[in-house]
Amino acid sequence: MPIYLDNSATTRPCERAIEAMTACMREGFYNPSALYAPALAAEKMLRRGRELILSSLHAPSPFRVIYTGGGTEADNLAILGVLSGVHGGGRILYGAGEHPAVKEACQSAPGFEAVEMPYDREGRIDLSALENLMIPETKMICCMQVNNETGAIQPLSEISRLHARLCPQAHFHVDGVQGYLRVPFDMKALEADSYALSGHKIHGPKGVGALVIRNTVRLHPRMVGGGQENNLRSGTENTPGIAGLIAAIEDFPKANQLQELKMHLWQCLRELIPGASVNGPAPDSEYAAPHILNVSLPPVRSETMLHALEGEGIYIGMGSACAAHKQKVSAVLTAMHAPRHLAESALRFSLCPQNTMEEMERTADCCKRNHAILSKFQRR
Amino acid sequence: MKGKKIMRKLLMVRYGEIYLKGLNRPYFLKALVNRVKEAAKPFGGRVWLHDARVFVSDMNDAEACMERVRKVFGVHSVCPAIEMEKDNFQAICEQANEMMKDVNGTFKVEARRADKRYFMDSPTINRTLGEYVLERNEDHLKVDVHHPEHVLSVEIRDQAYLYCKVYLAVGGMPVGTGGKAALLLSGGIDSPVAGYMIAKRGVQLVSVHYHSFPYTSEFAKQKVLDLAKILSDYCCGMKVYVVPFTEIQMEIHEKCPEDYTTLIMRRYMMRIAERIAKKEGALALITGESVGQVASQTMEALNATNSVVSMPVFRPLIGFDKSDIMDYARKIGTYETSCLPYEDCCTVFTPKHPATKPKDEKIKEGEDKLDQEALIEKAVENAEIVIL
Repeated sequence: MPIYLDNSATTRPCERAIEAMTACMREGFYNPSALYAPALAAEKMLRRGRELILSSLHAPSPFRVIYTGGGTEADNLAILGVLSGVHGGGRILYGAGEHPAVKEACQSAPGFEAVEMPYDREGRIDLSALENLMIPETKMICCMQVNNETGAIQPLSEISRLHARLCPQAHFHVDGVQGYLRVPFDMKALEADSYALSGHKIHGPKGVGALVIRNTVRLHPRMVGGGQENNLRSGTENTPGIAGLIAAIEDFPKANQLQELKMHLWQCLRELIPGASVNGPAPDSEYAAPHILNVSLPPVRSETMLHALEGEGIYIGMGSACAAHKQKVSAVLTAMHAPRHLAESALRFSLCPQNTMEEMERTADCCKRNHAILSKFQRR
Repeated sequence: MKGKKIMRKLLMVRYGEIYLKGLNRPYFLKALVNRVKEAAKPFGGRVWLHDARVFVSDMNDAEACMERVRKVFGVHSVCPAIEMEKDNFQAICEQANEMMKDVNGTFKVEARRADKRYFMDSPTINRTLGEYVLERNEDHLKVDVHHPEHVLSVEIRDQAYLYCKVYLAVGGMPVGTGGKAALLLSGGIDSPVAGYMIAKRGVQLVSVHYHSFPYTSEFAKQKVLDLAKILSDYCCGMKVYVVPFTEIQMEIHEKCPEDYTTLIMRRYMMRIAERIAKKEGALALITGESVGQVASQTMEALNATNSVVSMPVFRPLIGFDKSDIMDYARKIGTYETSCLPYEDCCTVFTPKHPATKPKDEKIKEGEDKLDQEALIEKAVENAEIVIL
């Protein structure tokens, strides 16, 4: 049985999600916009999902849920959909280590000045720089809840406070794709205006996600057509996907061992491999997400160790899977000013509640064995 | 006489260099027909040789079949043609008119009369047919016999053949007529082009690829197989040996002088390739080397890698600039795949300063520390064979 530790890239769909989707395709396949009773059942399922998502985020009634084709679409809809209603340009702020779905969307908004919020050495947004960056002309602030590569939980409440003080008009968007359900989130307390989530990162299916957005925000659709989702996202709703998403949310264990698993993996690695070091906040810190551990094992290059582990049936990641084929060194680690030798040997272990302590031990052991062999044979 | 039908569409395939062959010509023609048959097979095409032309008929997708046949080495050009009875000249005129009625600009008729007993000679056909077409299309066609934009060709053989478009093909000689050679295929831009050039001379290829897992990934291997697949379209199939190379690289890295590691690695690649070539009945090796491109391709380094094998080593790109090779790769369709960013076996252990003027004694000193025979034998034995 392979050991899968690349849950930030995608997760194995849970049985409940698979069952819900199958049932939806077999029996509940009706178009929610149709007029007969079974269609109403489909419509009710969508409604139930919206309520479930809102309550999972502590988002009371002034928020709405728009189902999308995934996290990227949700981010794009929030950023470009809001900005296309903003006239006269202005500034967009986004974290230096944002996912390309956010970064590229911000940079592509016509007529706006997209500015990075720098990271500190732990991979969190450097608050000291924000005072100067948040000018009154700021129209949007985008920040991820949890960094996808390092697991660093971003200082959202501090950003929220600065936002309220320095540029209260700006739309505050949170990319929750890597944090949703694994790190608690309170939409109301944070006064966030929108939040993006994705199904396949929480053991649901691919191709489905949602944007949670304040009702009062003027949003322009990115997809026009039949006027589904309150005219904000046309296209027949992906009911099997949404059924899977709902099941995955319900199935995700609130009490889980993620933090213990991660700490165990880190302790084993640290014991077995003397040069091991963490990229991001210390694993036991309150700013470290419980499911992501980013570790450098110099001098072995990330890709080499990844394939060596692959050879033994252990699958891990290096950085954002979306960028793995494009660049040699991670943009997130570069933004954190990680030394080159650490950036080039960074490995991302991302866990799920189904992983076991024994898997952590086997993984650490496998890293140690391969590290001993491979560290002798590196480019000099 | 072939075909009782009055008229049908087919592909007329013309060959080039084979014309120059003397008593051997039937041997080359047989190979060419077989290669065209293989190419047309997926389209259900029927293929035969007649009267110095290869014909393909009855294919279910004429356009795709033609594209495929244009990739067969030995084919000079392909024309989608209409075959009809030659005795009914009126019908030929009508067909010619049909083919030209939607064409604008200048044209001429070019008749070729292989059947010298035909009742009209070529100039008469040109005139009569030209006049017939011109009279009916005067508003959009003009005759220009010197520099026409369109040529309507008529060939009078056992049947009459009409066509107005000639698609040039790849040329060269049919694969299989020039023996067999082993190509060292890395995944870069150069080696697929080198393989193509030699295959074009009728040589059947077998590819050898060195795989350095875990330093290179399954994606890198797939990329090489994708490249081999592109080549296999031209080469009528391809056998790829994926040779596990990590152990050899590690041994070299550990025991040999750093500035000589690349060179010694290249020598091992040549030795293994020769071993596989012999096993496969191939008589030569092919590499994508070009003088001075990288440290292992200086004159001295080429001597050092060449000297470990006794077979001839073909380096068709030896005098090419990188930009020329890139253009060639684009033309044959391997460039994009070659540019995918996976690390290949040659770059994994690159030393900072590889020796550009290697000394024999130092190479020997390094290689003496390795159990050459055992390493090579193990690598060849464990090679994975992929047939494309």
